[in-house]
Amino acid sequence: MYQSESEIRNHYNNINEWLEKMTAKVINEKNAEAETHFRNIGITFSTNSETARERIIPFDLIPRIFTFSEWSKLEKGVIQRAKALNAFLADIYNQGEIIKANIIPKELIFKKKSYEVSMFGFTPPRSIYSPIIGIDLVRTNHNEYFVLEDNCRTPSGVSYMLENREIMMRMFPDLFHKNRVTPIDDYPTRLLQTLMSLAPIKCNSSEPVCVLLTPGPLNSAYYEHSFLSDQMGIEMVESTDLFVEGEYLYMKTVDGPKKVDVVYRRIDDEFLDPLCFNPNSVIGIPGIMDVYRNGGVNICSAPGAGIADDKAIYVYVPEMIKFYLGEQPILENVQTWSCDKNNDLTYVLDNLSDLVVKEVDGSGGYGMLIGPKSSKSSIEEFRRKLSTNPRGYIAQPLLDLSFSPTLIKNQVEGRRVDLRPFCLMGENAQLSSGGLTRVAMNEGSFVVNSSQGGGVKDTWVLAE
Amino acid sequence: MLSRTAEYLYWISRYMERAETNARLLDVGYRMSLFPNPNGYNNEWESVLAAAGAIQGYKNKYDIIEQKKVEDYLFFDEDNPSSVYNCILNARNNALVVRTSFTPESWLAINKTYQEILKLKNNNFNASDLPNLTEWTIEQVNLFRGSLSSLLRNDGYNFLYLGLFVERADNSARLLDVKYFVLLPKPQYIGGNIDNMQWSILLRSLSSFNAFRWAYDGNVTSTKIADFLVLNSDCPRSLSFCIQNIVKHLTNLTCSPEKVTKIYNTLKDLNTKIQEEKIESIVDFGLHEFVTQFIHKISSVDSDIQKEFFN
Repeated sequence: MYQSESEIRNHYNNINEWLEKMTAKVINEKNAEAETHFRNIGITFSTNSETARERIIPFDLIPRIFTFSEWSKLEKGVIQRAKALNAFLADIYNQGEIIKANIIPKELIFKKKSYEVSMFGFTPPRSIYSPIIGIDLVRTNHNEYFVLEDNCRTPSGVSYMLENREIMMRMFPDLFHKNRVTPIDDYPTRLLQTLMSLAPIKCNSSEPVCVLLTPGPLNSAYYEHSFLSDQMGIEMVESTDLFVEGEYLYMKTVDGPKKVDVVYRRIDDEFLDPLCFNPNSVIGIPGIMDVYRNGGVNICSAPGAGIADDKAIYVYVPEMIKFYLGEQPILENVQTWSCDKNNDLTYVLDNLSDLVVKEVDGSGGYGMLIGPKSSKSSIEEFRRKLSTNPRGYIAQPLLDLSFSPTLIKNQVEGRRVDLRPFCLMGENAQLSSGGLTRVAMNEGSFVVNSSQGGGVKDTWVLAE
Repeated sequence: MLSRTAEYLYWISRYMERAETNARLLDVGYRMSLFPNPNGYNNEWESVLAAAGAIQGYKNKYDIIEQKKVEDYLFFDEDNPSSVYNCILNARNNALVVRTSFTPESWLAINKTYQEILKLKNNNFNASDLPNLTEWTIEQVNLFRGSLSSLLRNDGYNFLYLGLFVERADNSARLLDVKYFVLLPKPQYIGGNIDNMQWSILLRSLSSFNAFRWAYDGNVTSTKIADFLVLNSDCPRSLSFCIQNIVKHLTNLTCSPEKVTKIYNTLKDLNTKIQEEKIESIVDFGLHEFVTQFIHKISSVDSDIQKEFFN
């Protein structure tokens, strides 16, 4: 919000006035109202903690604002990246041109668990492997955006984007009268259109039957699953509701079997089909992969799409953009050292106390080292881990993440934020007009993950 | 509609109905405890437990029957599968899975109820709070039922109401039965003051006390009350009303006509019989025997519905 110590960026003026008028009493009331609302609608997430099975993500009342021109650049950059990632997947599951061109070493791809051998030689409808991509972005002080990571499997958080806006409009209608905020509530419709545009070859209906496949109520994103299927008006199914017969996939209904054309799956690859992936899995639909490969059903995202968001592959995304699209990357990567390269490893080991080290397969802000914030002993622990398994880690500089004004005990304080907009790839490529802003609620913290004290904010894109 | 969705909807309204019945039963016990009772203080609480089908579970946990413990067991106890708390918890967990099949209002009604009962459960309550708890439960269940009016009149709606009336038919029948076999174990009391007092309490527990007064002139007699609760199809808790509504929502289903017909055929006789029967002949035959047969019938309809539609 602030340009320098005291100067407020123009597009935050309205918000600043609004904030100055709010008393501590009103803030407390509105915070309580938001919490009650979130509990009532059930937008909770499950944690490993025994004490509270259902928790609410802290919601900050101050929105994060993007100007139209700021957003336009992000939009182009994210869509460019999403196209390149899909092109990459199509390539490595077919000809492998990028490997032949010596841009990405083949062992980095074929030895990965997330590379799905059974997908080799198969191309899904419209050659789209990952129809919903969440790109995590951060801004540094220089007003530049960097991509922190890509999420090509089943990125979550979009229900927060939508519900955060709902509660803001409900609590502060005046703000929306004064500011021209681009609506986001058409996202579920666009998502459904995207899924319908990805019907399999053998589907001859103009309105393909889509379902959302959830692992069930114990999954941490279960609220989102039910929210999205409700908003789209499609069935939310568990794998026991589905079965394969002949060339097609069916769901069990009170009317008997009903054919399913597109499965928006929110379960991991290994639980899709016990015949193909994990024979010990009790969830999964036996035979679905056969039906999929023969064009009887589409699975979104495609099995094996996860290789594209592998942290070791991330390093090569700018190269991918040049290779597949012949364009210069609009959004830069964060500088990254892959510890499997000798030179990089030496540098990382020498500078551990200045770097952030992440597990290649890790997520949720777990299993990472933030050098400048860590004790000597944990740095030494990571030194040992890195030396024994360099391929398992990457390192990045500690970015000076931008601050966003956040209400902490009724005072406005700066807290670090990131941003996850959602890109849809179907008949059209499009970006949500907003995204999920996550905020590190603890003072000085760099970790925005909800599992570790992160909160969320409404994210505004101002209309032109 | 997914078979699993139909099943969950069916059970949501069963649980909500059961929560109300249990809360009303507690209210009956509370009222009875305020009247002098020749059978001793604990009697009414034991009959309440019996009516709720919870006596075995209770005795496994407690040695003596006393108000505070019974209240806790029937309202909050997590060990009692039919406690109001567990009914609401189960309804809410089912609703979480099928919230896409009903309106946001219905989900809110159930989830708010759940959030509130969590708070109630954490507060220590006094025995004298019971009327408030009962009132709260009835209000919450009414909120849920009211929210159903905004639903699409599709199969989901019919499965919700099938669950509601199957549960209510069962609950009403059991309450009637309990009146004869638990509330009034000694023949010498029949027709006496105690008898009438207990009949009127039964009416209250079925939320029908005032309604009965409007429906029948003159003295309150056990035959009139039995007529009201078994055969009077104006009374929304009578066995007759429940069976009519089961038939209605069953035949309104648009899915699988052959399954609907199959279940309807097993119900047809009971429905006709209950519309044509006179209360005198039921009393001659034996109210207990009649109610027992009815309970068996409802239970077989229930298992038919589950077998045909949910498996």
